[in-house]
Amino acid sequence: MSLEGVRMKKSLSKQDFLRFLDNLISDDTLDVFGVKAKGKRFVFAPLESSSELRLDYDVTILPPKKFFLPQYETLLKFDVSRNSVSHKLDGKTRVVVGVHPYDIVALQQMDKVYFNSYVDRFYKQRRENTIIIGSDILNVSDRSFAASMGTHVVSSGYDLLVTDLGDTVVVDVGSEKGRVLLEKHTSELRDASEKEVKRVEELRAALPGKYKRSLKVEKERWREVLGNSYDHPLWKELSEKCLQCSSCTMVCPTCYCFDVKDEVSLNTVDGVRVRTWDGCLLPDFSKVASGEVFRKEKSERFRHRFYRKGLYLPERYGFVACVGCGRCAIACLPDIADPLDVINSLVERKSEAEGVLRFSIPESKAAAEEIDYLPRNAVIKRMEKLTEMETLFELEMEDGEPLVYEPGQFVEVSVFGVGEAPISISSPPQKSSSFELVVRRAGNVTSRLHSMRVGDRVGIRGPFGRGFDVKALEGRNLIFVAGGIGMVPMRSLICYVLDDKKREDYGMVTVLYGSKTPQDVLFMDEIKEWEKKSDVTVKLTVDTCPEGVCWDGCVGLVTSLFPQVRWKDVENTVAVVVGPPVMYKFVIKCLHTMGVRDENIYVSLERRMKCGVGKCGHCQINGVYVCKEGPVFNYSEIKDLPEAFS
Amino acid sequence: MSKPRVAFFDFASCEGCELQVANLEEEVLDLIEIVDVVSFREVMKEHSDDYDIAFVEGSIMRPMDEERLKKIRSNAKVLVAFGACATIGGVNKIRNQWQPDEVLKEVYGDADLEGNEFFDVFKTKAVDEVVKVDYYIYGCPPPREEIKKVITSLVMGKKPDIPNYPVCVECKKNENVCLFELGKFCLGPITRAGCNAICPSNGRACDGCRGILSEPDTRCVEDILERYGLTYDELKHRFTMFNYGREEEK
Repeated sequence: MSLEGVRMKKSLSKQDFLRFLDNLISDDTLDVFGVKAKGKRFVFAPLESSSELRLDYDVTILPPKKFFLPQYETLLKFDVSRNSVSHKLDGKTRVVVGVHPYDIVALQQMDKVYFNSYVDRFYKQRRENTIIIGSDILNVSDRSFAASMGTHVVSSGYDLLVTDLGDTVVVDVGSEKGRVLLEKHTSELRDASEKEVKRVEELRAALPGKYKRSLKVEKERWREVLGNSYDHPLWKELSEKCLQCSSCTMVCPTCYCFDVKDEVSLNTVDGVRVRTWDGCLLPDFSKVASGEVFRKEKSERFRHRFYRKGLYLPERYGFVACVGCGRCAIACLPDIADPLDVINSLVERKSEAEGVLRFSIPESKAAAEEIDYLPRNAVIKRMEKLTEMETLFELEMEDGEPLVYEPGQFVEVSVFGVGEAPISISSPPQKSSSFELVVRRAGNVTSRLHSMRVGDRVGIRGPFGRGFDVKALEGRNLIFVAGGIGMVPMRSLICYVLDDKKREDYGMVTVLYGSKTPQDVLFMDEIKEWEKKSDVTVKLTVDTCPEGVCWDGCVGLVTSLFPQVRWKDVENTVAVVVGPPVMYKFVIKCLHTMGVRDENIYVSLERRMKCGVGKCGHCQINGVYVCKEGPVFNYSEIKDLPEAFS
Repeated sequence: MSKPRVAFFDFASCEGCELQVANLEEEVLDLIEIVDVVSFREVMKEHSDDYDIAFVEGSIMRPMDEERLKKIRSNAKVLVAFGACATIGGVNKIRNQWQPDEVLKEVYGDADLEGNEFFDVFKTKAVDEVVKVDYYIYGCPPPREEIKKVITSLVMGKKPDIPNYPVCVECKKNENVCLFELGKFCLGPITRAGCNAICPSNGRACDGCRGILSEPDTRCVEDILERYGLTYDELKHRFTMFNYGREEEK
C-alpha cells in the first residue's frame, strides 16, 4: 500500500455523498459553490442542490482563483468630504467543491505570491475562510497538458479530495478542517476499502494516457529554453496575430495582476476603491501618468506573459507558473496563447534561438508584514510652487507617528475619489516629524494634489521600496547625475550626505543637474547653498534657454557637463543617476568612459508602481519588481535586463 | 463653489442617449445636486446658451448641423461626445456606403428637395470630425454607470477613466461562454470595453458600438474565421453596423 493510502481515506456511497453535499448546502453558516454546467462549458457557481454538481467536467471557464482574488473587489470605502476610510472583510465560510488538481496547484502557487512579503490580508482572509473540496479528474480537457506539468494529480493543498468512482465516492481527508466538515455533515462515513483505494490509484494511473498533448521538454527546463530565446523570431511571428484582448491572462489560474480604481457615487462624496484583474497583454498595462509606456510593442507584451510563466516566476518562487489547464488555449481566438505550443515550438526551432536572458532577483527589504491597502492620513503643512509643473508638499502624519524612510524610497499618495499615485520622498530622513514630496502635475491624482490647500488631507501608504544604500556610499567620492524631476529623490540623498552630522562619512560631492529650461530647475536656492561649500561641486545645464531668461549655467544635455568634472580617484567614486528613462543609457556610457565601474553606479527607475508591494505586476522590469527590489538599483544588478534601459 | 452648468444637445440620432440620463430616475436628484442642467430639450422647456459642459448626442449630417455644433463648441468649456452616433458616427455612417443624393433618392423618391436646407446632407460625420471633443462617452446607448462616472469626474475635476481595453476583458470576468464557441461572430475582442460586456453576457454578439480599438492582422482574422467556421461576410456585416468607414481588415 502506498503512503497515500495510509492517510485517512474514507468512502461514501454516491447517494450518501450527494446527501452530504445537500447537508452542506442547507447549513446556513456555509456558502457552497461547485462546478455546474453553463451551456457546453462549466463554471464554479453557487450550488443550490447536489444534483447540479458536475464532477465529470473537463475544465471550468474561470479558475477558482476568483474566490480568492475576485474579478472586482472592494478594498476600502471612503468619504471624500471627511477623508475617512474603512473596510470590511467578509467572514462567512465558503466551501468550493470539485476543484481539479491543477487548480489546487495553482492556488498553492498563488499562496506563495500573496503570502510572500508583504502578506495580502484580503487574499489571506479569503483563503482561511474557504474549504477546498478537490476532485480527481474524470474527463480530460482537449487542450490540457496537466500530465506534462505533473499537475493531473495532487497530494496536498485541499481539505478534502473526492474521487467519484460511480457507485462510490472515495474521500481523502487533507486537513483537520476537512475532517470536521465531513464528520459534521454525514454519519455514513466508513473507511475506504483496500479495493476502493486501489480503484482510485488505477484511475489516477490511467490519467496521463488520456492527454492528447504533451510537452517536448520537462517543465524544469522551461527556464533554460526561455533563457536562450529572448529574441527568438517566434515572438514576433505569433504576436502579429495577437488581438491584445488579454483573454489568456483573464482565464489563467496563475495570473494575479490587478489594477486599482476609485469609484465615486453621483453625490461625489461616497465611493469605493476597487481592485480588478488586469492583464499584461493590454497596451496600457505599463503606462505611467506622464504617458510613457514601458512595454510598447505587441511582441514585447506577448513575450512577457510567457517569460513570467516560465522564467521570472520560477526564478522568484521556484515554480513554473503554468499548470497546463489549457484555459488560455481555449480562450485565445487566433490560438497563439498555448504555452505547450510555444514551448514546443521553441524546442523544435532551437536553431533559431537568439537572445540570452539571465538574471537574479535583487535583494528586497520588504517585510513579512500584513498589508490591507489602507492609507494613513497626512495633513498638508506647507505647499511651495517650485516650477510651473512641480509643487512641493510638506506633510505630517495625522496619527502623530512620523514616517520612517530612507532616501530614495517612495510613498503611495491617495486622493480619495481620484486614486493613488507613487511619489518619491524628497526630504532627507533626518527631517523630524514631517516629510516632503515634490509632485509633478501629470495624471488625475497629481493634478488634484496641485489644487489642494494647506490643511487638506491626503492618504499615505508606505514608505515602499529599496532606497539608496547610504552605508555602501560611505567613504566614497560621490557624483550625482540628475535629469528633470530625477532631482526629487536625489535631493533626499544629497541632503542626507551633506548634513553636518553625516558629511565626514562621505568624500567629494559633485552634482550634475540637467533641466529643460532655467524655469524648470528644482531647489535652486538649496543648490546655491550647496555650491558655496568647498567640498561640493555643482554643474547645471539646461536643454534650451528661452530668450530673455537669465542663465549662467551651461546649455546642452546633462552629459555635456562631464568634461567639466575633475575626475580624481575614479576607483573610489560612486555615481548616482536619476532622470527620465531616455537619460540613463547616455549617462552610463559617459560614466564608463570615465572609468566608473558598473557596481559603483546606482540608478533609481520609474515604472507604474500601482500597489507598491510586489503584487499588481505593473512595475516589472523583466522579472524584477521596481516597487520592491527598486526603485534604487545597483547598475550591475539590472544592466543585463533588456527592459531596464530601452 | 458654484455648480457646473450642463447642457444636452442632439443631432442625427434616436435621442436614446439622452433618455439614458432621463432614466437615471431618482438619481436625477443626485445629479442636479452636483450640476445645473440649463438645457435638455428631452426633459425641460427652459434653455440657456450659458453653459460649461455640453453633452452632444448624434451625428453631423448637414451644413446647418456643422454651424450649430460650432456654436455649441464656442459656448462650452468642455464638450463631451455622447453615444455611438456622436463618438464614432455609428449607424448613421452605414449610409456613407452611398453618395448623399443616392440616399435621398432611395428614401424620398422624386420629392422636390431642392433648396430645402433640412435635406442638404453630406456624408455622415462624427462630432470630432467637425469640432474638438474633450471627452467621449461611448456606446449605443451609453451605459448609465459610465454617464454617471463621466459627470462625477468632470465635477471633481478629473479626467474620466474610460477603458482602453476590449470587451473580452469584461466578458471573461463575467465568465461567459465565448460566443465564437457558439458559432457567432463577435466584435468583442477589438471593441472598447466599458459596457460590462452587456451584449455577450446576454448571448448576443458584440456589434462594436463603443468603437474599434485596434485593427487585427489579416492572417489573424483568417485564422479565426477558419477555426470557428465563420465567413468574411459575417464579419463585414457586424463591422458595418457601427463602424463603417473605419479602415477595414481587407
